[in-house]
Amino acid sequence: MAIPILSLIVLIPFLFAVLTLFTKTKEQARVSALFSSVLVLALSMFMYFNFDSTTSQMQFQEFAQWVPSLGINYQLGIDGISMPLVLLNAIVIPFLILFTWNDDKKQPNRFYALILATQGAVIGVFVALDFFLFYVFWELTLVPLFFMVSIWGGPAKHKASIKFFIYTHVGSLVMLLGIFGLYFAAWGQTGTPNMGIEHLLSQFQFIASGLSRDLIFVALLFGFLVKIPAFPFHSWLPDAYVEAPTAGSVLFVLLKIGGYGLFRVMLPILPFTPSMNLMIAIMAALGAVSILYGAFLALAQKDLKRMVAYSSVSHMGYVTLGAAGLVSLSVSGAMFQQFSHGLIMSIMFMACGVINNATGTRIINELGGLARKMPKLAVIMMLAFMASLGLPGLTGFIAEFLVLTFTYINQPTYVVIAILAIIITAAYHLWAMQRTMFGVYNEKFGALKDISASQTFSMAVIAILILYFGLNPSPVLDMMITNSEKLVSLMAVAGV
Amino acid sequence: MAIEDMAFLIPVLPALAFVLTFFLGKKLPNGGAIIPIIAIFTSFVISLMITLNLLQNPEQVVSQSYNWFAILNVGVLIDPLAAVMLSMVSFVSLLIHIYAVGYMSHDKAQPRYFAETALFTAAMLGVVLSDNILQFFICWELVGLCSYLLIGFWFEKPSAASAAKKAFLTTRVGDVMFLAGIILLFADIFRIFNGSIPEGVYVLRFDEIFTHIPEIAALNTQIFGFEVSHLTIITLLFFGGAVGKSGQFPLHVWLPDAMEGPTTVSALIHAATMVTAGVYLVARTFPMFLAAPYSLLVVAYLGAFTALFAATMGLVMNDIKRVLAFSTISQLGYMMLGLGMGAVIGVTAVGDSLFHLINHAFFKALLFLCAGSVIHAVGTQDIRQMGGVRKVMPITFATMLIASLALAGFGIPGTSIGVSGFFSKDPIIEAAYLFGESTENWVPYLFSIVAALLTSIYIFRLIFMTFTGKPRTNYGGHESPSVMTVPLMILGVLALVFGALTKTGFGKFLEETFANNFVNMDIHALAEIGKYHLASHGAGSEPLLILWMPVIVAIAGLLISYLIYGMRIIDMSSIVSRKNPIYKLLYNRYYQNAIFTQFLAVKVIYEGLALAGRAIDRGFDWTVYLIGHIFTEASDGLRLLQTGVVQNYATSVVTGVSLLIILVKLILEVF
Amino acid sequence: MIPLFYYLALSAIIFSIGLFGFMTQRSGIRMLMCVELMLNAANINLVAFSSYNGDLTGQVFALYSIALAAAEAAIGFAILMSIYRVRDMIDLNKINVLRW
Repeated sequence: MAIPILSLIVLIPFLFAVLTLFTKTKEQARVSALFSSVLVLALSMFMYFNFDSTTSQMQFQEFAQWVPSLGINYQLGIDGISMPLVLLNAIVIPFLILFTWNDDKKQPNRFYALILATQGAVIGVFVALDFFLFYVFWELTLVPLFFMVSIWGGPAKHKASIKFFIYTHVGSLVMLLGIFGLYFAAWGQTGTPNMGIEHLLSQFQFIASGLSRDLIFVALLFGFLVKIPAFPFHSWLPDAYVEAPTAGSVLFVLLKIGGYGLFRVMLPILPFTPSMNLMIAIMAALGAVSILYGAFLALAQKDLKRMVAYSSVSHMGYVTLGAAGLVSLSVSGAMFQQFSHGLIMSIMFMACGVINNATGTRIINELGGLARKMPKLAVIMMLAFMASLGLPGLTGFIAEFLVLTFTYINQPTYVVIAILAIIITAAYHLWAMQRTMFGVYNEKFGALKDISASQTFSMAVIAILILYFGLNPSPVLDMMITNSEKLVSLMAVAGV
Repeated sequence: MAIEDMAFLIPVLPALAFVLTFFLGKKLPNGGAIIPIIAIFTSFVISLMITLNLLQNPEQVVSQSYNWFAILNVGVLIDPLAAVMLSMVSFVSLLIHIYAVGYMSHDKAQPRYFAETALFTAAMLGVVLSDNILQFFICWELVGLCSYLLIGFWFEKPSAASAAKKAFLTTRVGDVMFLAGIILLFADIFRIFNGSIPEGVYVLRFDEIFTHIPEIAALNTQIFGFEVSHLTIITLLFFGGAVGKSGQFPLHVWLPDAMEGPTTVSALIHAATMVTAGVYLVARTFPMFLAAPYSLLVVAYLGAFTALFAATMGLVMNDIKRVLAFSTISQLGYMMLGLGMGAVIGVTAVGDSLFHLINHAFFKALLFLCAGSVIHAVGTQDIRQMGGVRKVMPITFATMLIASLALAGFGIPGTSIGVSGFFSKDPIIEAAYLFGESTENWVPYLFSIVAALLTSIYIFRLIFMTFTGKPRTNYGGHESPSVMTVPLMILGVLALVFGALTKTGFGKFLEETFANNFVNMDIHALAEIGKYHLASHGAGSEPLLILWMPVIVAIAGLLISYLIYGMRIIDMSSIVSRKNPIYKLLYNRYYQNAIFTQFLAVKVIYEGLALAGRAIDRGFDWTVYLIGHIFTEASDGLRLLQTGVVQNYATSVVTGVSLLIILVKLILEVF
Repeated sequence: MIPLFYYLALSAIIFSIGLFGFMTQRSGIRMLMCVELMLNAANINLVAFSSYNGDLTGQVFALYSIALAAAEAAIGFAILMSIYRVRDMIDLNKINVLRW
């Protein structure tokens, strides 16, 4: 591979972030940001079309020595686990920038620079093959999001941004402990230091002490569970999602690094953990409880955006549950849920943002009858809501069906819990839809204008993608299946 | 190009019509109604040609499967069962669409209406021709979505928005059971294959499922100490889905509220699409039900109970559409009862039930369209404010009378004289009699006979109150335009003669469903697995009184209604009052609204569980803050050490270093 | 040749004087001078070990250390001068703005 395409995809957003920072006007800032994101989209499409989805090997690998004495290398690569997530980021960000095209934000240069920086960092996490690099990008995602919330956020932005930062940072530090444990244990094992993710994961099984294997596993798992977030580590999410500006909420939604960690790091070492069955049970239980709990909490919310935030907790439960299913299709269902959730929640938060801007409130009971004034928004929002409640034909259903069906084979009890939540999920979506879009129009909002052309375009494109991947999931699902088969075959090797 | 290759177009054309009408409808006359009409007409022609072909060559079942993703497939299966359903759905839907051109002509949102009804039809057609249970479920859910959109068509009316939500949520309860059934089924088949499903085998295809029936039936689970066959669990979960969609007790609550949509939508829901999907699901998976112990009995009892239960409420409703809604629930109960009778008459039950389904589709669509016509002209839905409409709307009256006769089931047993409802309801009641005979259990028969009496009473109450007598309020009425009356007349003819024309061939044709190259199985062997004892002789050889019984009660019902509402001889005011507890109970629909909506949904789920959840979540939040607090408090104490006096620092440094030296010394000495 | 012990003893004594002074004096200038004493005690050690081992490295270090001490004294006195200008005294016990 002559062109270092992965490096480009990671570096372009950062370069343009710096460039955007020095732009003077809103026009320059948004054009620069759009240009960068379209470039990334083009590159990732190019990569996608040259991607071989029949192999679970790393592709487009890049390698350069960085700190040889510590075994740290600049190592990038992409496979079926990371490709869809890179794609998700590359697709949504340009439309997010288009969505905010006409917003009057203070300091637009910083705003767009932070969007780009987040994109670079998140993609960096997905393509890093070296734990050091992985961790650097992992922590790097925090910084722009922190500023995003604390500068452009809602009334409680400072509290929310600090809470989010510290909470997830604690999770990351525990994860770092796990990484160090693994790194030094493997160093002792092989005699040479190496931070490579694949190398360390393959060395995990040779660590002599069962206790240290358990501890390493738990530390890593904790870090990822906080980031997903799974019940009971979710309480940073509602505040951060709600207080963030619309673009920030969408960026949060695209921050799929927690679930990614489950597939990249946890599943390969799961079969070699002494207390494997307990770990599987914990993951499945947390997943199932997240689904049910998030659904109930969403039902109890009065604020539309808060409801969407809790529904996010509920949906991410499928990721944890599916990963614990340990059947290749349940694992791919969980991966697909990440992809699908990113698309669906992007529109949901955009819709929340539009409603908030237009009416000045997000309290569900104060809204009503918006469909009369904003028919375009109503159609798009209806589609997003239906996708979110798992209507067949849209992406949410594919993921949920795969997760529920195939997890049932190994974990029937937890699936029964999760199935109960489906009704609650339908209930809060329909309730919110009825109260916001239908019913009598609240005349105090006056003459509302429907969403602008750029907003319609960006939301409609994502909506069409939801429909497309719901009817034909193969383009991204096939590569997920290839990789999850490999993950699950590890179980068989370990004799599970 | 053979007609089989066009089978996939049957649902695809209306779906395309949805897209076209949705985006282009505004620019066309009548909201682009012509697009779905043409599309559905084409679907109907294709369906009819396939049906006719199947009639001649029953073995030429259309069966095509394509890989969708992973181990799932999409496909088309048109066997006799699907063929008659396809033809009926597309035909009735076509007529309703034509009628709607007139009915909806004053509505601004016509494009949306026609787009959504087109999608509704497409989804229902998709349900019918699915060749696997997952595709079936997907279309089934789309049907639910469309019903949601259409019931809430006038979304600015809070009651409509609320009814739409209620309909979707209630059916969703059933859908979740259905989904759970599919998951369980999948898991069992997965187990049977030992986790490795061969390439090219689509485990959710109906034929694949049916071949594994004996193995699934052999799997057992302990539930409350009882050995229950997995097949029983799966079929009952499927039936749970059917209960939701087909408005059986206790999930029937959404159907009467669904009247908030335009009347044409009610007609679509009640006749052609949606509610029949549940019956069709049970019919489609009938071999599974037959091999599952107890399942058919549950279907039968619940069907019989619903038939009676809904009929009692139909007696006291004053809203013309509500009466019809309860009548639909009641008739669906008959269809379920008919299927449940498979416990004694085997696969014939599918024929009986489907026959009633088709006939019901004709006369119920007719009833609703007539009611729509009346509402359109009179401007109210309350039958107490009508009266004497016959004079203003003679065609509507005539067709509605035919439909009512068909619903009540008038005819002469043993001959070919009778309206369509007669030929299809009687076999079900007779099968119930046979069931009583062979099991000494007369409950289903009793329920069905009483329900038949009540049916006759409430439908003629409706006729007498609406069409006869003098106008009770000042309404200006007129007969509807011909675009509305022509569909009425076509349906009227069918309601009159369809039963008589097809009664001999229909059942036989449908029995082919389970005896062709797609699904070929031994019904008796299946019934043996399900521990059902099929009767040695078929229905029709009962005592004369039993054969005449349904007709006798129908006539009795007519007479009672005539005396009370036609002649006004019997004064009902003492009975029809809020003081009468039975009337009150019926009028309030057994307080199901209070129980389900007020109590279960609002009190238990929302106020109880959800708000409790919020309290718990605060708890988690507090825990997080508490941890943060511990650290801030601790640092508040610790920072006092920083006195800012250099000498204090120096002291601690010296002390620390001294201690360290001592420590090192000690360690060196010990080791 | 004077044994190494004497040098070390001298160094320890000077260091102790410096430490004692540092912990008891209040005037900033005196404290600074005590710090210089402690530094020089260390320098004596360095030079003593250097000559004892016949290795010049220690003496080079001592030279560095002296240069460093000079620089430090310069900055320290400059700070004290500015404090004196602001507060009219150089009692370091009272200058505890950075406490808590």
